[in-house]
Amino acid sequence: MTNEEGWKDVAFNSRDPVYLQVVRLFMEKLVTGRLAAGQVIPSRRELASLLKINPNTAQKAYKEMEERRLIVTEGNAPSRVTEDAGVLRGIRAALVEEAADEFIAAVRRIGMPADELIELVRRKYDERQGGGAHD
Amino acid sequence: MIEVQELRKRYRRRDVLDGVSFTADKGRITCLIGMNGAGKSTVLKAIMGLVPYRSGTIRIGGEPPSPAVMEKIAFIPDRLMMPGGMRVREALAWMQEHYARWNPARAEELLAFFRLDPAARIAQLSRGTEAKLNLVLGLSRDTDYVLMDEPFSGIDMLSREQIADVFTSELVERRGVLLTTHEIAEMERLIDQAVFLDQGRVVRDFDCERMREDEGKSVVDVMREVYRA
Repeated sequence: MTNEEGWKDVAFNSRDPVYLQVVRLFMEKLVTGRLAAGQVIPSRRELASLLKINPNTAQKAYKEMEERRLIVTEGNAPSRVTEDAGVLRGIRAALVEEAADEFIAAVRRIGMPADELIELVRRKYDERQGGGAHD
Repeated sequence: MIEVQELRKRYRRRDVLDGVSFTADKGRITCLIGMNGAGKSTVLKAIMGLVPYRSGTIRIGGEPPSPAVMEKIAFIPDRLMMPGGMRVREALAWMQEHYARWNPARAEELLAFFRLDPAARIAQLSRGTEAKLNLVLGLSRDTDYVLMDEPFSGIDMLSREQIADVFTSELVERRGVLLTTHEIAEMERLIDQAVFLDQGRVVRDFDCERMREDEGKSVVDVMREVYRA
């Protein structure tokens, strides 16, 4: 049903709640297209085995994702990624915003004017786009 | 649930257990953590009725220990207790004959899970393979609770990883698991509850995810706090 690729060898840190790291993993997979809207995801048990985490933690992660409407579980059917475009856009926005916050926190310490910074970001971004982007 | 209340034991004029209280719930993995001599194994043996204790109460699913109640618990000691001349297959047959709730299908499944050779003689097994067989014997019984004493000590890394996989599998699903270890790092993301023992006392007892969420600390972080003093 679900291939094991992409679930193995995920590096978790041991100081953040594991269930939130799992939610985050799903969000990243969604925005990078490695999980598609409507796609069936592994069962809680399968995920616990694949990620080598406690089964109760996997359960908690799925509950959290259901509450955030990232995934849907109908009756006894396997859980699926949501097809709600609004939710998917929201995840994308949340992840980009988070990355921007981290970037700003890092460069603020150096103290560069915003205009110069934006110019730098634009130039670097274009370089990446042109020069054979990876990922 | 297994409830241990105010367990006390003196041995050679030392308080080996000095009022130990904690619970291990069904469907959760509870880990007794502590240095050598902290009293971890003694707690497991007291629950199993293998060592006497001075005072305190033990309840298993609300009931005091009795032969019938003890059949709900599988105890996996730190070393395999089978004679070296026995073959793996014979050890399984022996267990089936002597223990209630033996599940032959589960035993076969576990042999395959660990890739154990049924024809191998126990004396010829490596330390890691011996530890796996030890687990097979304990987990093949349909018990509500499984007690494991130091399932990771003294074995190679690959065997430890395979043994850790047991804790994420359906092999322990819905059961209550209580294990002891002094090497917590590899269990960090597998356990639900951590109970730290030091000199016969419970010094910390917490839900691991809640600790990460509320204090941003890993189990190893807490371990450093507890034992650095």
